[in-house]
Amino acid sequence: MFCYNCGCHLSEHDFCTACGADVSLYKKILRVSNLFYNEGLEKAGVRDLSGAITSLRQSLKFNKNNIDARNLLGLLYFETGEVVAALSEWVISKNLRPEKNIADDYINRLQSNASRLESINQTIKKYNQALVYCMQDSKDLAVIQLKKVLSLNPRFIRAHQLLALLYMDSEEWERAERELKKCVDIDRNNTQTLRYLREVELMLAPDEAVKQPARKKKDEAVRYQSDNEVIIQPLNMKEPKRSGASTLVNLGLGILIGLAATYFLLVPSAASNARNEAQETITQISNESDAKTITIQELEAEVEKLTRETEGLNQQLDGYVGEDGTLAVIDSLLDTAASYLETQDVGAAAASLESLAQSVDIEEASQSFQDLYHMLLTTIGPEVSKTYYDEGSSAFQANDFAAAIESFSRAVYYDAANINAQFYLARAYDRNGDTKEAIAAYGKVIELFPGTTSARSAKQYQDALQAQQ
Amino acid sequence: MINFEEELKKFHPSLEVEDAEDAIYNQDLTDMADLLVKMLKESEEKSNEVS
Repeated sequence: MFCYNCGCHLSEHDFCTACGADVSLYKKILRVSNLFYNEGLEKAGVRDLSGAITSLRQSLKFNKNNIDARNLLGLLYFETGEVVAALSEWVISKNLRPEKNIADDYINRLQSNASRLESINQTIKKYNQALVYCMQDSKDLAVIQLKKVLSLNPRFIRAHQLLALLYMDSEEWERAERELKKCVDIDRNNTQTLRYLREVELMLAPDEAVKQPARKKKDEAVRYQSDNEVIIQPLNMKEPKRSGASTLVNLGLGILIGLAATYFLLVPSAASNARNEAQETITQISNESDAKTITIQELEAEVEKLTRETEGLNQQLDGYVGEDGTLAVIDSLLDTAASYLETQDVGAAAASLESLAQSVDIEEASQSFQDLYHMLLTTIGPEVSKTYYDEGSSAFQANDFAAAIESFSRAVYYDAANINAQFYLARAYDRNGDTKEAIAAYGKVIELFPGTTSARSAKQYQDALQAQQ
Repeated sequence: MINFEEELKKFHPSLEVEDAEDAIYNQDLTDMADLLVKMLKESEEKSNEVS
């Protein structure tokens, strides 16, 4: 015990021997605090935890520095499942006395096991959630939540009490009693627990009172008076044997019941089997139908593809067979060749070849066609070229240069080696005023027939034209 | 006869571990000894003022 004024150790005197302060009242207060602590300790010893908590709180109200009282209070809170309250008391205790304090050990033990602390916190959260469920009238959920809470922390008095209250509300008195008994095992003198327990016992008592007379009645016999005799008939007596008719009736009833049972039990089963079989058949048919539908679709696709191919081939065939078809063109060329071989008519053959050249792209035709065409052209070419050359010369002399150009061009077409036709084509261009074409035509003469007189003349004309430009 | 609704009002949410710090700080630790010391000091100051 230390002086409140100077902090010195107090003696048995009512004043401080160090500073002289009057400490009589102060000492009394500390003694009252100790008295409450002792009372709390005693109550805790007999598991009157609620009473002990009240005493220890009183003790701390007189002396907040009563470390033993505070540590014990924390311990009692912990025992009743109020872990946070316990932790608070121990932390305050440790702050008031940092050295040689058992609270330090308690805190360390709690904090060293993080999973245990987390589990405790979850328990508290679940309890709070259960309370919210109760407020929302979701009592079933609250019961489930509280059961979880108690499986994690079986010493949580308030959870036991709330669960008991919920059971009482749903009139599950036995369960409520069980929960309250668990509360009593932890805290023997909790007023709330005792109040609930009394209510539960009251509700359970009438049932037992009803049960006992019932048992008595069992033992009793039925008594009735017939004339002057009192007949006592025990209740558990066997019934007398019945007559043959009633046996037959019973037998008939039994058979009827049997038949009815057969009808109601077996017939639905048979019907169900038949339905299942029908369903299976339907499923099988449906599957087959699906497979056939797929096959039909595949065949339809195949038919469509073949139709398209046929159309393509028909178009190709039309290209060969029609009036302008390849076969007709080949026939025409063959006719031209045959006619020329037979009549040696160069003019007619040339006209046919020109007609063919206009209707068909010779370069696109088959190689055989091209060979025959070119062979014919080579055969009749020089003669036809000469004819056109003569026509061109006449036109040139008549100063009809356009006609001359036309004739000389054809002459060159039929015989590229016709040097005169080439030269006079260039001259016709020149005289007609087509300078560009004239220069090109002179160039061709120079290129195709080098060293000839025509080439030299062409060179002179070409130079003269280029000089003019 | 116990009234469920009335009884339910007596149950309060339990403090969670996260709330422990606030609970410790907010706890009123004033005790009788503190009150006595205060009273004694006040009476002493008054007697000093009178003298």
